[in-house]
Amino acid sequence: MEGFLQALAAGLLIGAVYGLMCVGLGLIFGVMRVINFAHGDFMMLGMYTAFYLFTAAGVQAMFGNTVGPFVAILLAGPVLAVFGYFVHRTLISHVSGTRTAALEGEGHYAQLILTLGIALILQNGGLIVFGSVLASIRTPLSSSAWELGPFFDMSIFLNKARSIDAIVSLAMMISLSLLITRTRIGKSLRAAADNPTAATYMGIDVDRAHRTAFALGCGITAIAGGLLATNYPFHPFVGLEYVIVMYAGVVLGGMGSIIGAFWGGMTIGLVQQMSTLVLPTQLQNAAIFAVFLLIIFFRPQGFFGRMVERT
Amino acid sequence: MLRIEGLSAGYSAKPVLNDVSINVGAGQFVAIVGPNGAGKTTLFKTVSGIVKPSGGKITFDGVDLLAVPPPQRAHLGIAHVPEGRQVFPSLTVMENLEMGAMTESGRRDWQANIERIFEWLPVLKERHNQFAGTMSGGQQQMLAIGRGLASSPKLLMLDEPSMGLAPSTADFIFERLIEIRRQSGLTMLLVEQRVAEALESADHGYVLEAGHVVLEGNNDTLRADDRVRKAYLGM
Repeated sequence: MEGFLQALAAGLLIGAVYGLMCVGLGLIFGVMRVINFAHGDFMMLGMYTAFYLFTAAGVQAMFGNTVGPFVAILLAGPVLAVFGYFVHRTLISHVSGTRTAALEGEGHYAQLILTLGIALILQNGGLIVFGSVLASIRTPLSSSAWELGPFFDMSIFLNKARSIDAIVSLAMMISLSLLITRTRIGKSLRAAADNPTAATYMGIDVDRAHRTAFALGCGITAIAGGLLATNYPFHPFVGLEYVIVMYAGVVLGGMGSIIGAFWGGMTIGLVQQMSTLVLPTQLQNAAIFAVFLLIIFFRPQGFFGRMVERT
Repeated sequence: MLRIEGLSAGYSAKPVLNDVSINVGAGQFVAIVGPNGAGKTTLFKTVSGIVKPSGGKITFDGVDLLAVPPPQRAHLGIAHVPEGRQVFPSLTVMENLEMGAMTESGRRDWQANIERIFEWLPVLKERHNQFAGTMSGGQQQMLAIGRGLASSPKLLMLDEPSMGLAPSTADFIFERLIEIRRQSGLTMLLVEQRVAEALESADHGYVLEAGHVVLEGNNDTLRADDRVRKAYLGM
């Protein structure tokens, strides 16, 4: 029982961060219908950006070892958003949006090749620039825990860094869903996703909406990556490990549902941690995909997928 | 207000419009009628910038429209109510109307516009919190019209508002359009396959066949024309 609760707590904490990570990708797919294979590598860049902001750019000196990492992680978001903005402007916009709307397949083949190409450049460029040594954003909180309880002689230990990671993720997620549902920008992003042609008739610049979504998606995933890096070491090829989880989360949540991607990521985090109760740790990812297939078998449109509404 | 001169357009190698000239004066209600595939929808898409023309000129309020990027055209005062309604299904009725009001004039007049729209199309008020994708075809058509009106347009372009609707619903939509026109004096350009109703509501009409304007004139001239009577009015 104690083990179960401990795994549940760990699953919820990591699930919140996975959820945020998936939302970044889900936002891009939901608005642009572009499958971004380079998203894991944008996250890797986010991790390194947070790392260098912390160690080399003076954040550590200014905010210290405890708060500093989180400041650096939050700053990495806007940096990657700007990077994503320019990647969209210079590359992605040529194979997506209104330029390719009239083409057969809407430019999906070119998008596939382009984003895979970007992924390869970022991975190998990362190897040249950052080297192959594992890096991590350690904070003293990474190796200490809060004790919940004891309830009925049972105590649950919550790793302090992971708890703060989860709180930051939830706060980001709440702000994002307010942005998407309440603000003019958010509504126009959803309109552009629903029907780009009609959105143009309304005076919405669809390509600009796509650029906004792409920048936001990169920034959000970068922050999620930084949060993960407080507990997991990383390297230039770390994106490959996470991009599969991201896609599983987005599909579970329902392709096109931005909020759904969060619950998809949360489910993956829970399954991953709970599976350790019954399976060896090496089978964590196998357990994720077993559950993934099971859910998709019974609910092919995902948790929040819309099969009927979209035409 | 809207002047289309010698317009030609099409998709890749297939020309759809051939040397089409159409003139819509301020305050006029102009109907373009013609059979399926005549190029009526392509004409609207060219005005909105979704289709690039291969020749000709379009001016709106003295502005060379072809030099204006497509999303900016709505901001000049052109509201396009597209074929097949094309409301935003995952947005609520109210959010759809807000999207209509993305233009500067739409934002400025939002309060007054929304009151008038709800008065003209009460079903939108009743269902303001419903997702547009869950509404019936007729209701979606009314939403598409309301969304167009929410931008405070100078010109309302309606692409087959009766498409796929039950005859009684289509009649109701026409009746609403005439009422909106009467009260607001808005300039309207209508494309329609239901020729009798369209010519009855409009003051001026064009007959478009296979990408050519084959006939134009005011309401009475067109309805008195032998070809129109035989081919479209069944007389």
